[in-house]
Amino acid sequence: MKLLTHNMLTSHVKGVTKGYPLLIKATEVKVNEVDFNAQFVSRMIPKLEWSALVQAAEELGHRQDLPAELVPEYENNEEFLKKVHRVLLEVEVIEGSLQCPESGREFPISRGIPNMLLSEDEV
Amino acid sequence: MEASVGNNMEAVRRSKEDRKVLRKQLKASHTLLKHDGISAAQQPTKSLVVANGGLGNRVSREELSAALNEMGELETLIMHPHKPYAFVTYRSEESARKAHTHLNGEKLQCGENSVTLYLSYVDSVTCQEEVSVPLPDGLVLVEDFVSPEEEALLLAAVDWSSTNDDVTAQKALKHRRVKHYGFEFRYDNNNVDKDKPLAAGIPQECLPVLERCVKNKHVDILPDQLTVNQYESGQGIPPHVDTHSAFEDAILSLSLGAKTVMEFRHPDGRFVAVVLPERSLLVMKGESRYLWTHGITPRKFDMVPACDPQSPAHTTPDLSTYSNLTLSKRDTRTSFTFRKIRHEPCGCAFPSACDSQGAPSAPSPPPPPPSLPCCHADAALLEEEYVHRVYDAIASHFSSTRHSPWPRVCHFLLSLPAGSVLADVGCGNGKYLGVNPEVAAVGCDRSSALVHICAERGFQAFVSDALSVPLRTASCDACISIAVIHHFSTQERRLAAVRELVRLLKPGGRALIYVWAFEQEYNKQRSKYLKDQNKKHPENHSATENTQTGGSQEPHGTSSIHPSRHLEDTYRPVENIDVTDGKLSVHTNRTAFNTQDLLVPWHLKEGKKRAEEEPRDGGKKDKGKEKSQKSSGPDTSDATHSPDSKPGASGDTSQTSSSALKSESESSPAPVFHRYYHVFQQGELEQLCGQEAGVKVQSSYHDQGNWCVILVKDLL
Repeated sequence: MKLLTHNMLTSHVKGVTKGYPLLIKATEVKVNEVDFNAQFVSRMIPKLEWSALVQAAEELGHRQDLPAELVPEYENNEEFLKKVHRVLLEVEVIEGSLQCPESGREFPISRGIPNMLLSEDEV
Repeated sequence: MEASVGNNMEAVRRSKEDRKVLRKQLKASHTLLKHDGISAAQQPTKSLVVANGGLGNRVSREELSAALNEMGELETLIMHPHKPYAFVTYRSEESARKAHTHLNGEKLQCGENSVTLYLSYVDSVTCQEEVSVPLPDGLVLVEDFVSPEEEALLLAAVDWSSTNDDVTAQKALKHRRVKHYGFEFRYDNNNVDKDKPLAAGIPQECLPVLERCVKNKHVDILPDQLTVNQYESGQGIPPHVDTHSAFEDAILSLSLGAKTVMEFRHPDGRFVAVVLPERSLLVMKGESRYLWTHGITPRKFDMVPACDPQSPAHTTPDLSTYSNLTLSKRDTRTSFTFRKIRHEPCGCAFPSACDSQGAPSAPSPPPPPPSLPCCHADAALLEEEYVHRVYDAIASHFSSTRHSPWPRVCHFLLSLPAGSVLADVGCGNGKYLGVNPEVAAVGCDRSSALVHICAERGFQAFVSDALSVPLRTASCDACISIAVIHHFSTQERRLAAVRELVRLLKPGGRALIYVWAFEQEYNKQRSKYLKDQNKKHPENHSATENTQTGGSQEPHGTSSIHPSRHLEDTYRPVENIDVTDGKLSVHTNRTAFNTQDLLVPWHLKEGKKRAEEEPRDGGKKDKGKEKSQKSSGPDTSDATHSPDSKPGASGDTSQTSSSALKSESESSPAPVFHRYYHVFQQGELEQLCGQEAGVKVQSSYHDQGNWCVILVKDLL
């Protein structure tokens, strides 16, 4: 699970209103090499919940010097975009779990795949 | 100049057709090779395999041999009961060559059907001559027991008009018409009300027949109960043992009006199919009456021995030798079953089947087909059984048949602006996740096995249900849901699935939905599902499949090569169960749909069994590469939930060696899974989406057997 995906995921446990962002408990994290596409990253940024991304990167110990706030005019800031690229697309959680911040319900991540299935009574 | 150009064009055109035929021929041969270990010869021989000319696709021996005989003298013609091909050996190679030249690619008219025959030379023809199986112990078949005149009299003696309801007990059962005389046999407890005889006893017209039975020592005492069953073509009766405590030993059954095939099954697995000719008397005593079950499969055609003047006359009425079989269309058959009411408990030698000695009064019937659910809980259970478990079990095989994205779906995906966020709800093996590299695509699927395949391919995906997608509201620029919503078994759930898609969309965002169409023919164009002739796995198709040859689904019907449908249902070999009582029918692949809610068979490919010896890859994934050859398959232990499933293969298609095939064919036939579908009628999807507020149908169309819509979420 990449952090781009994590940024979109939310808890859907019944009754939960503050299910975002999911807390990450990672036991295995991998960093891959992914081709850098500045335009792609630049286009993604407005779609992200920035603070959730920073928090997630922090949880994984991969925040490095990612700023807490978006820098102005990031579109042309290749250095910044590369930082975002790394965190968003290269860091991957292989094993661990995602936890609903409100209910505490954990969703396992196994072989890079989060299993978000709820049981009948949780829906 | 012009003339020669014209000729050249002709020559080119003809050779193109020839090439097409040749391609089909080669494909046919290839299919056979893989399925039955038959080798297509490179050089002409005396023997040919005639693809599509088989009992399995409704070609009768008479029709085929008539066509073949025109080419030369036949030595043998072998038609296996369930295969869609035949083997012919001519006396001379010349005749075989003539047949090849004249019949290859030609249409053969068989009754109402027309098939196109493809002939290939074969080196050898394996003829499985089986030893004729004896009839069950205690079973006697007496042919020509009544004359045609007597037959007519007996049939006339039965008044089916319902005004006689109080005198006899006439009930319209699901599969056949029934009338009782003397005593009513009750189907609710499989027994007789011995204290309440019916007003009408056995009709007078039956007396001569009964006296003949006594005279010929088939019975000692005159029966006092008669059950008349009328079976129309396509009707039958499930396997059963006549209740021990209700009736004495000897049971007499007279077949009038038509012949049929009755199937006897022993608890140890033995199976004997017996032809009951018209006007024959069947006497069941002893083991055949008390232990073997008997039944008539609801069918419209039976396989019966051919009356071939050249071959020795068949004295055995059973059907185990199939080198001389042909098709027989069923007609309405009326059986008169005479029984003697038993007043003392049964003391037979077969206590396992005896209700007087402790066994249940009726054998446990096969599990009934599922009904349409009426609530969410039932719906969820149905989908668990007939969607989720199946996909988990067939994941790799399924994935290997889903490799080409559909053009119009691709068009939608490629039309998305760069940087769009895309959710593929029900992404399957991730086939669409990489189509547009400029969008951020994430997939989700209910099948963990399929999601793992996505991950192996380097895509982002998670496991979830389409009714509750754990993505933030309005987080997606676009969504697709291809061949998903038709797996939901109630209208409410289908609507809920649409609602989820809409929720995910940003204002102005678009969703593309594809569902399987009830109408497979549209604008007089038959969908590839019905049309296509040359699929490797004819049964395993759904609306959105697109193969490397550019064709998509496998059409079925009489003009394609397919292993027998008979293999599909192990305990319920029916053609089309009547769905009027809300039960789901099992669909015959590649034919037009006749109900909206149905179960579609999937035949797990041979060789695709779990190879436990194969090492599992640690989790090495090639990013961005579409590799389906990994042995690091999904955790197939999950797939063992369904009792009849074979876990999905961990190997690639290319790994199926001939030795694997042989061992596969030695063991049980390929397992069949059934997937639930609700196929949509024209306009139904639009109407469904129309019920959802905040979204408009931007366009709707029919695409190769699917109904499709593009939805746009309202701007706030």
